[in-house]
Amino acid sequence: MNSIINSDPHESAVSHVTGKAVYVADMLINSQVIVGHVVFSPYAHARILEYDFTDAIKVKGVIDILDYNRIPGVNQLNSIAHDEPCLAREEIHCIGQAMFLIAALNEKSAIEAEKKIKIKYEVLKPILSIEEAIEQDSRMFPTRRIETGSPDDTLLNAPHVLEGQLDIGGQEHWYLETQAALCVPGEDREMTIYASSQNPTETQLVVAEVLGLNANQVLCEVKRMGGGFGGKETQANHIAAWAALLADATNRPVKIVMSRDNDQKYTGKRHSFKAFYKIGFDHDGRIISYIVDLHGNAGMNADLSMPILERALFHSENSYFIPNMRVRGTMWKTNMPSNTAFRGFGGPQGMAVIENAIDRMARFLHKDASEIRFMNFYGVDEKNITHYGQHVIGNRLFLIWDRLIKTSQYFDRRIDITAFNNKNRYIKRGIALTPVKFGISFTTSFLNQAGALVNVYKDGTVLVNHGGTEMGQGLHTKIKAIASSELGLPLSKIQISATNTSKVPNTSPTAASSGTDLNGMAVKNAIDKLKERFKPLVLKMLNCNDQNCGIISYENEKVFLSDQPEHSVGFYELVKQVHKNQISLSATGFYGTPNIFFDRDKGKGKPFHYYAFGMAVSEVEVDILTGMSRILRSDILHDAGSSINEAVDLGQVTGGFIQGVGWCTTETLRYNSEGHLLNHSPDTYKIPGIGDMPLDFRVELLRNAPNPMAVHQSKAVGEPPLMLAFSVWLAIKDAISAVADHGIEPEFSLPANNEVILLSAEKLRNLSDK
Amino acid sequence: MENNTLKFLLNDKQVEIDFLKTDYLPSTTVLNYLRSQSDLSGTKEGCAEGDCGACTVVLVELLDHQLIYKTIDSCLLFLASIHGKQLITVEYLSQKKGQDIVLHPVQQAMVNYHGSQCGFCTPGFVMSIFGMHKSETPVNDKSIIETLSGNLCRCTGYKPIADAVQHDCHLKFDDHISAKEGQVKNQLIGINHSIPSLKIHASEQIYLLPSTLEEAISLKKNYPESRIINGATDIAIRQNKTHEYLPCILDVSNIKCLKKIDEIDGFFLLGSGVTIEQFKIFSENYYKPFQKITDVFASLQIRNAATIGGNLSTASPIGDLIPLFYAVKAKLQITGSKGDRVVNIEDFITGYRKNCLQNDELLVSILLPFLEDDIFVFSEKVSTRRDLDIATVSLAARLKLSSGNRVDEIILAYGGMAETVKRAEKAENFLIGKLWSQDNIEAAMAFIEQDFTPLSDARSGKEYRSTVSKNLLLKLFLLKRSGIVNN
Repeated sequence: MNSIINSDPHESAVSHVTGKAVYVADMLINSQVIVGHVVFSPYAHARILEYDFTDAIKVKGVIDILDYNRIPGVNQLNSIAHDEPCLAREEIHCIGQAMFLIAALNEKSAIEAEKKIKIKYEVLKPILSIEEAIEQDSRMFPTRRIETGSPDDTLLNAPHVLEGQLDIGGQEHWYLETQAALCVPGEDREMTIYASSQNPTETQLVVAEVLGLNANQVLCEVKRMGGGFGGKETQANHIAAWAALLADATNRPVKIVMSRDNDQKYTGKRHSFKAFYKIGFDHDGRIISYIVDLHGNAGMNADLSMPILERALFHSENSYFIPNMRVRGTMWKTNMPSNTAFRGFGGPQGMAVIENAIDRMARFLHKDASEIRFMNFYGVDEKNITHYGQHVIGNRLFLIWDRLIKTSQYFDRRIDITAFNNKNRYIKRGIALTPVKFGISFTTSFLNQAGALVNVYKDGTVLVNHGGTEMGQGLHTKIKAIASSELGLPLSKIQISATNTSKVPNTSPTAASSGTDLNGMAVKNAIDKLKERFKPLVLKMLNCNDQNCGIISYENEKVFLSDQPEHSVGFYELVKQVHKNQISLSATGFYGTPNIFFDRDKGKGKPFHYYAFGMAVSEVEVDILTGMSRILRSDILHDAGSSINEAVDLGQVTGGFIQGVGWCTTETLRYNSEGHLLNHSPDTYKIPGIGDMPLDFRVELLRNAPNPMAVHQSKAVGEPPLMLAFSVWLAIKDAISAVADHGIEPEFSLPANNEVILLSAEKLRNLSDK
Repeated sequence: MENNTLKFLLNDKQVEIDFLKTDYLPSTTVLNYLRSQSDLSGTKEGCAEGDCGACTVVLVELLDHQLIYKTIDSCLLFLASIHGKQLITVEYLSQKKGQDIVLHPVQQAMVNYHGSQCGFCTPGFVMSIFGMHKSETPVNDKSIIETLSGNLCRCTGYKPIADAVQHDCHLKFDDHISAKEGQVKNQLIGINHSIPSLKIHASEQIYLLPSTLEEAISLKKNYPESRIINGATDIAIRQNKTHEYLPCILDVSNIKCLKKIDEIDGFFLLGSGVTIEQFKIFSENYYKPFQKITDVFASLQIRNAATIGGNLSTASPIGDLIPLFYAVKAKLQITGSKGDRVVNIEDFITGYRKNCLQNDELLVSILLPFLEDDIFVFSEKVSTRRDLDIATVSLAARLKLSSGNRVDEIILAYGGMAETVKRAEKAENFLIGKLWSQDNIEAAMAFIEQDFTPLSDARSGKEYRSTVSKNLLLKLFLLKRSGIVNN
């Protein structure tokens, strides 16, 4: 069974719709649990001169207040870079750095106590932008670079060169469930963490470190998250560590649930970027040379900024073969909450620059941008080596293009749009086609590993544990389908347990779109081991004396030789016999992605196991007098290999696209001059609502496209669709450009919110009037 | 006489809360009340300000012997305000039959169409769709957006949810909830008969819930410092977010006569307690100039709770309805212990979030004049997101042209441009008597710049506000020319 096409509901769908699905905030209500409260720094950069808890601790209901002196272990949240204090010691490096922890019987007492803590600060000058950081040379790490061909010489000799810059905004994750953790102390300072974390192993290790315990004394369990999107890859550790410190100090269960406003103000976001580029090309639009400098706002500490930058470098050519190229990237240290992983992980920022540059080339050459894109796609047999030296194999760009250009009627609609724009002065329409090529694997190669534990019980039911976490993406649903297919059992006989560090240890985060690829393989490996163990007994039960007598199949709750399906033994009968024969019914599984490597010094290697592809065409309408825009139609064709669950994969494509649309349009982060985030609630920070869906929304998966590189020939699908939203972003630019009849390059940045659209259109109106 | 005991139906169980014997305050939100009970944690907190809908519940109230089902954000709903009503939570929708869970049809539709991913927003969506079904809203693209724009989802991109409603929720069906309607009706009649009003003197809060206007007037006289609330959608946010303490609340949401819409002497008379949703339906039928604004006014959950009196009294510099009330020259009826008075809308608003109500006064009704055929009323709301967003800038305009196409009368009322809704007086003065032409409009746009000094804030920069405010005047001209003006 290599391919399972189905659309079974999400394994928790019934729990979701009935309200029975349990999240951290729903656990232990009305019992011994007490409230944890974090006192966050109000200054972006300051020194704490003195503080006094005397009045605060007297507030009724307050149980304890901790400062850094009360940390029994190491005052550290980052076990690798060691640059992130758990509680501020003397200097504060961002608004929202944790300073003190309050344990109280209820939230009200905790808030009152916070008001009564007396603190004296010396306020220092902060760095709040990439520009300021560059000026002060505030680097987080040395600049990284990847180069191929002779970018400087070829640029000099290119028939045309365009030079420019692009500002790319950050993005708030806006998972529906805010950061939350519940810590329950046990005997001898043992600690159990119920976390909303994409990385239970790291949560376990960070808590062990701050508590001064061994990893084997700390257990982390994750049932599910109410959304993660990268925001809970590292930053879920913080809240777990704070709750654990309070639980350890008070010896009572402690729950911390962040308020929406605090979560938005004080947790990291997608990195904002600033890019400078030069692109050289010929008269047809073939790219000859591309030189780009990427600058990212890392925030106060390293977090995941380095791998995020690395992925931006890897994706800075998106789907295009560029023979001469140099991409340099720098992460800048600023006095802002540390930015972190967010779906796409730097890839979107890298891609936005080349997509915008190609759009400019098209305007310069008076051509349709999609033709320039097509002309520069990676080739199948030639022109297929990336700037970092990896062969682009399994290129599906042409397959997708051929189909999408027809189904979307792109060129006919282009003509209609031009006619519409000629008739309308203040309402303009635009269209764009954009591709995505996304590398699948953690770029830190060793992280590409996973573990599993499969228990078959005496009644023949199966419990599957694996290292991946469920954040809504349907990982458990797919894993269940894989186990069901491998064991030939109905879904009802298979249960997926909460992710638990005591069942499957030393796991990688559920990230990089790799959850199913890695954990699915590990589960398959465990089941293969069980089958291998069962084999002699199966042959005996089937009265087959020849050890080499063929392949054993597990289907429809029966086990048989695949060439003799009429002679079978029931799975449940087999299980009984296995147990009676003193053979273990439990196995661990493991998987490590083979043959991936990258030499950071040389900038060459094969960092990705394979690539995922997708393409989108979007048409928008823009009100030139207000800057308000709406998506009239989007057509998406995305490559998910042989889908393990089509509904789940379509959900990822649709949801990822709309999340990308938010980043590209309405989601603007606004800060004041002191570094305070102004729009820290959904009142002013606008993620897409149901009315922002394209009026006509057509989403399809590429058919007949098995992926030989991954479990059951499927393909990772979590992140790539987010970048399909560039079709909306550049359709907006196309509509603005129509104001000056595509004769002038519009000012543009990301997001293309009302303000960007209007002010850009106004400039074009003024220029074209002259 | 004090009456400290709140009575309501929580799903099918009658609940009594004596505020002298509990830790709950009368203004504890229904969300916090529900979430303090381990078997009712299906209702989620996503934002605590009515912007995400994860906490959506359905509130059932008795109106003219009919049960009316409304979806409401429970994070903005004060516990004491649900006196005499039925509160339906997500836990009530599915039923247990033996070992099996029987899903409600709207839940089954969400399962069938893969409407949940992380599941955190799902109970809220389920309740919104359930409310849509119970209120017999016809299912179409527009009604789906109108019903669900108050529910945010970050996972699905909404398509599967819209599909679930489109395909599986348009059918009429009876459920176990409709089977019990007769019994619910009787129970609610019983509560409202025996305890029509509440007068709660809890240790930290006085909460007054009168059922007649006379009662309210006398309470306002005796408790002059009391805060008047109706839907509480504004004040509840302040309680949630800035922990504002409300020592004394006068909740007028239970006063039936404030919810009436009448016609009188060339005016529509709308009670101050008319909800925005009621007003939306009214404007669709009788007062078209408001339709464009009510279509994008907050969300259904908010419109079901918020009232026109509340929207006016907040005297917000933006308040969606206020510029339009300027444009149609609304008048307000105010009553108090010293008697009644009528004021013009422009005199009612006295400053940033300030109105002219005295401590003993209540806003009773709003008078909207019938609009003559030669009056054009126009409105445009500019916001970051079309639905469930507060305007960055809005313009409501009134225009009367002479037979010679000259401007006889003009009102240009802007929201989001100053500390109150404010008229562009210099631009108006310039245009009066002038020919209604694009040249004159473009000349008037320069005066808008003199009329206002907008600020940069969490919604936009000042340059944007300045440019849009001018463009909206041009838009008015263009729409007038094309004939697409609400009237």
